Amino acid sequence: MALLLRSMARPGFHASRSQFGVLYRHAVPMGTTAKEEMNKFWDKNNRLNRPMSPHITIYRWSIPMVMSITFRGTGVGLSGGISLFAVAAMVLPGNYPQYLDLIHSLSFGPQFLAFTKFALAFPVSYHTLNGIRHLMWDVGKGFQIPDVYRSGYVVMALSVLTSIGLACL
Amino acid sequence: MSIVCTHIGRSALAIRGCGAMTMVRYAQTAAAPAPAPRIKKFQIYRWDPDTPGDKPRMQTYEIDLNTCGPMVLDALIKIKNEMDPTLTFRRSCREGICGSCAMNINGGNTLACLNKIDTNTSKASKIYPLPHMYVVKDLVPDMSNFYAQYKSIEPYLKKKDETQEGKQQYHQTVEDRQKLDGLYECILCACCSTSCPSYWWNGDKYLGPAVLMQAYRWMIDSRDDFTEERLSKLQDPFSLYRCHTIMNCTKTCPKGLNPGKAIAEIKKMMATYKEKNMSVS
Repeated sequence: MALLLRSMARPGFHASRSQFGVLYRHAVPMGTTAKEEMNKFWDKNNRLNRPMSPHITIYRWSIPMVMSITFRGTGVGLSGGISLFAVAAMVLPGNYPQYLDLIHSLSFGPQFLAFTKFALAFPVSYHTLNGIRHLMWDVGKGFQIPDVYRSGYVVMALSVLTSIGLACL
Repeated sequence: MSIVCTHIGRSALAIRGCGAMTMVRYAQTAAAPAPAPRIKKFQIYRWDPDTPGDKPRMQTYEIDLNTCGPMVLDALIKIKNEMDPTLTFRRSCREGICGSCAMNINGGNTLACLNKIDTNTSKASKIYPLPHMYVVKDLVPDMSNFYAQYKSIEPYLKKKDETQEGKQQYHQTVEDRQKLDGLYECILCACCSTSCPSYWWNGDKYLGPAVLMQAYRWMIDSRDDFTEERLSKLQDPFSLYRCHTIMNCTKTCPKGLNPGKAIAEIKKMMATYKEKNMSVS
């Protein structure tokens, strides 16, 4: 009986295997797709309530990192500032010379004025110069770490100098 | 009988020899004054999933550097062997080729086996798991998402014509092979990806430097026929373009590779491959 069963089962087994062989030749056998694995990852970690390892609070800051976040900050600040200026020009009564006279009449000290001018000029010059640095990266140049630092120092020095120049106008 | 005799005789000899050696060793150490202990503090991130309500905390261990190997991994193994067997971390090859012991040491991601212990004993060394990852236990993060992202870029040779598969080697010129240098050496330790702020904030949709560099490795492989398809898969706001050239990846890579440069090269290819396709059609 057992022998009979075995002899019956064997050809069937072979047939099913060869069938799979045909299927597998065209579709790569994969247990799960990448998408399924990602979904499993998020489900599992949310369910287990695992802690997130510390990141921004413990990562050592470097000059390229600081310059990158400053580039983002000046970008947001400049677009916000210019939009605010434009909206103010539209909404507020009076015109630009009147406000200039108002500032003159407040008679701020020369140091305060120089500092304010520098503070306004620095984001403009830094964002412009670091933008040029980014364009250089976009053509694929200056990716070695010493080059990244060198271009960073050049941008910082030049933006301080141009801001002082702009503030002196 | 004679065999047993010689056996006994030999082992007696061995014991005597051993005794003589230890005596010599004692004499040597006695001659030199014992060096002053150099106690170094290690502050290590701990979190135990099996203690209900456990909060992540830092635990300090003190190690005498005179009795410890030079690398941070040596210190971790020493702590686990001699002081606290519950300390959990991944390690395997101890020579920077497996990528298991990737962790954040003194604020930078690196392999514990390749990172020398800072011998300045006045400062504690801080050891955390790879940043912004779900913690399985202590220094062990859940890497499944990282591996799934690697899977998603299909990191293997793909041919349009499969009929010649396995019949002959796919030849490559020396120059074409050289293009893969600096890319294939990646051990997928995830130091770069987990150093990237963009990957911290968008790790679900941004592929991260390690995976993108491998995507680039297959794009420029002269034997692969799917360069355009590989590029078009990255054509969305997140997969590739969350890279803002912060360059933490290249700075931290323990193998000295340059994922930042590889991503920039992908961006350049993205800008031109469509034009090529359009000019053909």
